[in-house]
Amino acid sequence: MSKIAIQNLNKLYNPNKPNAFYALKNINLSIEESEIVILKGVSGSGKSTLLSLLGGLSKPSSGEILVDAHNIAKLPDIMSSAFRHQKIGFIFQSFNLLEGLSVYQNILAPLALTKLGKEAMHEKVSLAMELANIEHKKDQKVGSLSGGERQRCAIARAVVMEPEIILADEPTANLDKENSLMFIKILKKFKALHKTVVIATHDTLFDELSCINRCVQMRDGELVL
Amino acid sequence: MLSKNFVEYAILLLFKDRNDHLFSFLIFSFIVFILSAVLFISDSLQYDLTQSIKSQPEIVVENTRAGRAYQMHDGFIYDISQITGVSSVEGIVDGYHYFAQKRLWFHIIGDATLAKDEMIIGQGVQKAMAELYYEDEFNFFTEERMIRLKINKRAPKGTNIISNDAIFLHPNTARAVLGMEMDEYSKLYVSVPNPNEVGNVSLKIVEIYPSAKATTQEDAMSAVRHLYYYKGGIFMILYVIALVSFFILLKNQISLVYGEKKKEIAILRSLGFCIKDIIALKFIQNTVVSLSAYLLGVAVAYLYVFVFNAPYLRNIFLGNTLENSITFTPVVDLNLLFLIFLFGVIPFLAFVILPAWKIAISDMSEAVKS
Repeated sequence: MSKIAIQNLNKLYNPNKPNAFYALKNINLSIEESEIVILKGVSGSGKSTLLSLLGGLSKPSSGEILVDAHNIAKLPDIMSSAFRHQKIGFIFQSFNLLEGLSVYQNILAPLALTKLGKEAMHEKVSLAMELANIEHKKDQKVGSLSGGERQRCAIARAVVMEPEIILADEPTANLDKENSLMFIKILKKFKALHKTVVIATHDTLFDELSCINRCVQMRDGELVL
Repeated sequence: MLSKNFVEYAILLLFKDRNDHLFSFLIFSFIVFILSAVLFISDSLQYDLTQSIKSQPEIVVENTRAGRAYQMHDGFIYDISQITGVSSVEGIVDGYHYFAQKRLWFHIIGDATLAKDEMIIGQGVQKAMAELYYEDEFNFFTEERMIRLKINKRAPKGTNIISNDAIFLHPNTARAVLGMEMDEYSKLYVSVPNPNEVGNVSLKIVEIYPSAKATTQEDAMSAVRHLYYYKGGIFMILYVIALVSFFILLKNQISLVYGEKKKEIAILRSLGFCIKDIIALKFIQNTVVSLSAYLLGVAVAYLYVFVFNAPYLRNIFLGNTLENSITFTPVVDLNLLFLIFLFGVIPFLAFVILPAWKIAISDMSEAVKS
């Protein structure tokens, strides 16, 4: 059984309007557990849309997304949010940190929805910071961090709930080479931890990586076989 | 059930945006303060006047001529005392003396317990007299003569609204000051022991003396209530205007930070917060802001009115010809405070939570990409 199985997935924006268009057209894709899959394609090819559907951030127009054999495409908000909270870790191109808060407070955000005690939360945050190599900046406000540090803070936040699936949207687009290589190191750690990772990118850095299982090409909302 | 972690994180986010919330907090506190202060003053005045009316007999009779109060003689007392149901009739000397040097009116009240050459004065009167160095004695100038009286003592500060502009004199001295004859009275206090007879007795008084005005306790009470509801009404309109201004300001403030808030909600949604969590988060944050602003507004209004005696605002209620040095009796109408809460906090919460809900239900994918 695949970890993620996408069947006949379509996403239509502005339905019944003259400017209606398909962001995704009849997508069929299976991703196995512990697989690292790269979604490649130019801007507007539908990579980010596919990621947001996989993470339950938006709903497909038709089709199914099975995660551990559960269809998440039609879940009500409360359940799709719980699914996202428990199973998905998002890493965004623009980091999406909560400005004005420290690194520690940002990583703490997903744990606000749990009933864990102070110590257990602290332990989880510490582990996540260690994995992302950002613990030395834990009390610093995120606004004062460099791009690479912000990215590592976002990674720590994405893994603090120990999700099974990590979705990364252009994770190296705003990083220099050094920090991009740092991300690759973390990606290898994900591999070691048996995480299922889907990365949408057009960065060639990922092309020759040994930890990548598959590269899927997208064009105009369709998979290129 | 919201967890402790969730509430703590909501407060953390609130403090992150404290500058945005501080603006709303201060405006909200100010509006609650203004309304509470007005209600405290009007309730306190109503209470004092009502207590004063309650201490009076069942009916107060005043004679009129050409539409103005006119004195009554002993014959009135005799005739009214003959009406069935009346237990006693007491003549009262009461009127106003013009203090030309300060262009003020003093309220002269006859008090049979005082000697003929002494008087008790209210705090406001004392201050007005002291400005012209009348410390121990005061000279009343009438058409016929000058009457010099000892200032016996001052009515204690905070007795109530009644005594501030009052001078208590022996009735005969009061008559001399007011230019009345010795057998004349300004008012008659009519005691009617049976409450069911009060209406009939008042009608009979008016039958005997068509020019007389017989005011029952009930009439006087409703006049006081009407007076302060009327004033309260003006302030209610001011409050509504202030509230509308507040909403416009709040809307502007929300519009200014709409993009950032949308992004923040989208980030939280991507971390697993459901729509209900976003609403709960905003509810907690804005409840903290509005409730603390409400409590601060009420507390400051309480101190302003009952500790500092409402400087500036009291003159709107009491008139400022004579300096009002009265102390407001602490009267707190919890129903009205609850009403302010209901019309302040609830719309405030709705105003912030509805847009947050609207953002939370929208497609988050674009917001997190931006």
